[in-house]
Amino acid sequence: MTGVAGAVPFRSAASALRLGMRNLFQDRLRFALSVAGVGLSLMLVLFMLGIRAGALRSAVVYLDNAPGTVEVLPPGGRSTAAGSAQFLGPETVAAVAGTPGVEAVTPVLLTMGFSDLHGTKAVIKLVGYDAALGGGPWKLASGRVPAADGEVVLDRVLANRHGLGMGDAFEIGGIQLTIVGLSNETSSWTGSYAFVRKGMVEALLLAPGAASFVLVTPEPGTSRDELMARLRAIDGTNVLLKSDVMANDQEVVAGIFDQVILLMVGAAFVVGALVVGMVIYTATNERRAEYGILKAIGARNAVLYRVVACQALVAAGVGSVVGVGFSYAMGWVVMNARPQFLVVIEPPAIGATLAAGVVMALAGGLFPARAAARLEPAEVFRR
Amino acid sequence: MTEAGLRVDHVTKRFGSADTEVVAVRDVSLQVKPGEVVLIMGPSGSGKTTLLLMLGALLKPTEGTIALGDLELSAMSEGKLPDIRLRHFGFIFQDFNLLSALSVQDNVAFAAELTGVSRGVARSKAAALLTELGLDHRLRFPPEKLSGGEKQRVAIARALVNDPALILADEPTANLDSSHGRETMRLLREIAQKRGRSVVIVSHDTRIKEIADRVLWLEDGEFTNAVEMATDPVCGMAVERDVAIAGDRDGQTYYFCARGCRDEFLAGVAGPP
Repeated sequence: MTGVAGAVPFRSAASALRLGMRNLFQDRLRFALSVAGVGLSLMLVLFMLGIRAGALRSAVVYLDNAPGTVEVLPPGGRSTAAGSAQFLGPETVAAVAGTPGVEAVTPVLLTMGFSDLHGTKAVIKLVGYDAALGGGPWKLASGRVPAADGEVVLDRVLANRHGLGMGDAFEIGGIQLTIVGLSNETSSWTGSYAFVRKGMVEALLLAPGAASFVLVTPEPGTSRDELMARLRAIDGTNVLLKSDVMANDQEVVAGIFDQVILLMVGAAFVVGALVVGMVIYTATNERRAEYGILKAIGARNAVLYRVVACQALVAAGVGSVVGVGFSYAMGWVVMNARPQFLVVIEPPAIGATLAAGVVMALAGGLFPARAAARLEPAEVFRR
Repeated sequence: MTEAGLRVDHVTKRFGSADTEVVAVRDVSLQVKPGEVVLIMGPSGSGKTTLLLMLGALLKPTEGTIALGDLELSAMSEGKLPDIRLRHFGFIFQDFNLLSALSVQDNVAFAAELTGVSRGVARSKAAALLTELGLDHRLRFPPEKLSGGEKQRVAIARALVNDPALILADEPTANLDSSHGRETMRLLREIAQKRGRSVVIVSHDTRIKEIADRVLWLEDGEFTNAVEMATDPVCGMAVERDVAIAGDRDGQTYYFCARGCRDEFLAGVAGPP
């Protein structure tokens, strides 16, 4: 009996893959439909992850662009995402500023408010800041920063949506403001930023000299841990790294979005796997006789697995790449139509989506491959 | 290639058990020598296909042994049988059963590639065989563009590409018109005679008797009649030895379709084949 040479598995694998490819491309419409199906479902996966990433990024966009590495909050404060009903008093702010090792402080008074614009309520994150100490808009699209009470820098997206421009009036909390600047990168799902002089917000909240939080820039050469320990010694404070506060802010947002988004991502994944599975199963079923012949003439199950798996992997692989393209296109369309929705498609998400495509192919191709492998070769003789 | 042909000893195949037991093949014995063509005929349900499946190592007998040369197929594990089928058997089917996505050449080469030969070698072997079978102008064609006869020739090339000892053909002429059927029969005869292969054909087509060395009649799972065939050396017609007109010349017995052929042959007007 002829022995099986070492090269057999490799060579028969190559021929099986070639057959899989030919089978796949023989019916181009079916191939296009499977690629489109996988592409659309992965687009949904990637788009939802993009929305999540956009929401997380916009949740920390302010702190990310504000100065300082250490954040002093009122007791119990962990997050700045939704503002806080508690404030740091002026004596605390002064004590923070006077702490040895502090190079600069940026007290910020942040409150959430509503503005009635064309019959709809717009959520505004009103940031009161001191222009000399920082904490204001980081990217002006036009105009200038507020130089006096009653002046505001408004998020450009919100302004455009409501036809507001430089010099127009803008009301929040019963206070009339005049738009003197428009800022970029300051819109988010949870509200749009508006920047005014700190004194205005103090007046609005009846909290003179107060701050929602103080951002601290340590002096060069100062140990951050030692500085934080000194700041913690000040009564009525909670001291955290700014990066920790940002992580907490993102956690708050993730808590709101994740369940829905992960549910949709899971549903999209299942739909994609079903598309691959149905397409490959139908294609496999149509070729039952051919696969039966292969088994009859001596092809092992591994050959059939490879033929079917190759089809599933190529369909899902091409579909995944198409899906990435679709998701960029979808993100572009959405961000142009609704600029407040930031869609961030990150490389790790693309990698995860492509990996999901492979898993989808394996999950979708498994059943058809098993069906092919279980074929009785004798069937081809029994008509 | 495994020599010494096919040997079937007292093979029985039962399906089911107790009250539902069906005996599809009952105590069948058979020997097919290299170069011999055996035709198995019989009514539907007589057990022809079951016997063919057992001969092709696609089904294990309940009792008895089947051996191809020194390979005892009935004793082998299931795991070894695919490789045996690939290297020692050639299958020809009624519906041709070519792989629709592959070209004519690749259909044949694929079977060779499964044994581990390189793609280049497999394609060369395929091209040579197809050229021998008159299909050199169709190498790159998809199967769907071929006539029935051409498809069956591709299937024959695929059956031969791994140099098997035994060719098993299941109703090879059933889907062919008479001229293509005749051509297929001629090829099967040639495979046996020129290549020294054993050929077993299961068919309802009585025309195949013309190329068979033996015709076995299977009924209710048993061989009930065996006919030795011979070729009239004068006109080339296939004749049944039992009923043909016989004549001796140079110490050998020849069989004729009619007295005219015999007389012509014995008078030396026509030579031996």
